[in-house]
Amino acid sequence: MPSPTREPAPFEPLAGILALALPGAGHAFLGDLRRGVHIGAGVLGLFIAGLLVGGIDVVDSKEDRLWFAGQALVGPIALGVDYVHQSQFKVPDAARPGQKRSPSPDENPKIHKSIGRMNELGMLFCTVAGMLNLIAVLDAAFPGPHVRRRA
Amino acid sequence: MLANLTLANIMGANATLAYVPFLHPLPADGVWYLLLIPMAFGIAVAYKGVRVKTFDHYWRQVLTMTAQTVLGIMALGAAFYVATQIILPHVAPMPG
Repeated sequence: MPSPTREPAPFEPLAGILALALPGAGHAFLGDLRRGVHIGAGVLGLFIAGLLVGGIDVVDSKEDRLWFAGQALVGPIALGVDYVHQSQFKVPDAARPGQKRSPSPDENPKIHKSIGRMNELGMLFCTVAGMLNLIAVLDAAFPGPHVRRRA
Repeated sequence: MLANLTLANIMGANATLAYVPFLHPLPADGVWYLLLIPMAFGIAVAYKGVRVKTFDHYWRQVLTMTAQTVLGIMALGAAFYVATQIILPHVAPMPG
């Protein structure tokens, strides 16, 4: 008896790009607004919770490059947070011309470099948010039969 | 007196400054393991948002997955504790 053939999932490149631009936007674009809202709330909630736990220091493309690779999957929001961190909360490094470093406690801007558990957990929250958004991006780009779509 | 009643004073023994959201790390080092619960909840919200076929029992599934994640990690922690603190010292005792 021949095995039943499965229809290949349709390819929705615009939905995938929108999902990468804003978590949940890809599903909303496809017509499944409720699913998009839940995905957006989960991904952005985790990302913001990570920033609350570890401070802006947990998103750092220079000092935590590998973690940032996962965090960047949240989209332009993560890139924007990293830009603000690099441009507003770091000081020039005298030992390495052209490079920047986190300020020491007696320097301005006054920012606490997070270390230890809070830093680890904050980075984990933000990176898990990015990895979950990757699942959402793939699901929006190749929507399964459960994704409600516009007629 | 009320001015001293900051989150930093309440939660962190070493915190000397008031907690400023997004700039300072949360002064919760003593209860860091409790952050597993909001993380598991956030993961469940996003993951179930992708996976469920209908949203009829969405929140029940989210809470179930959250509980499964938290209990699973607690079980892993307990297993590693037993392995490293009880079994290993019997199998390979440290000299001295």
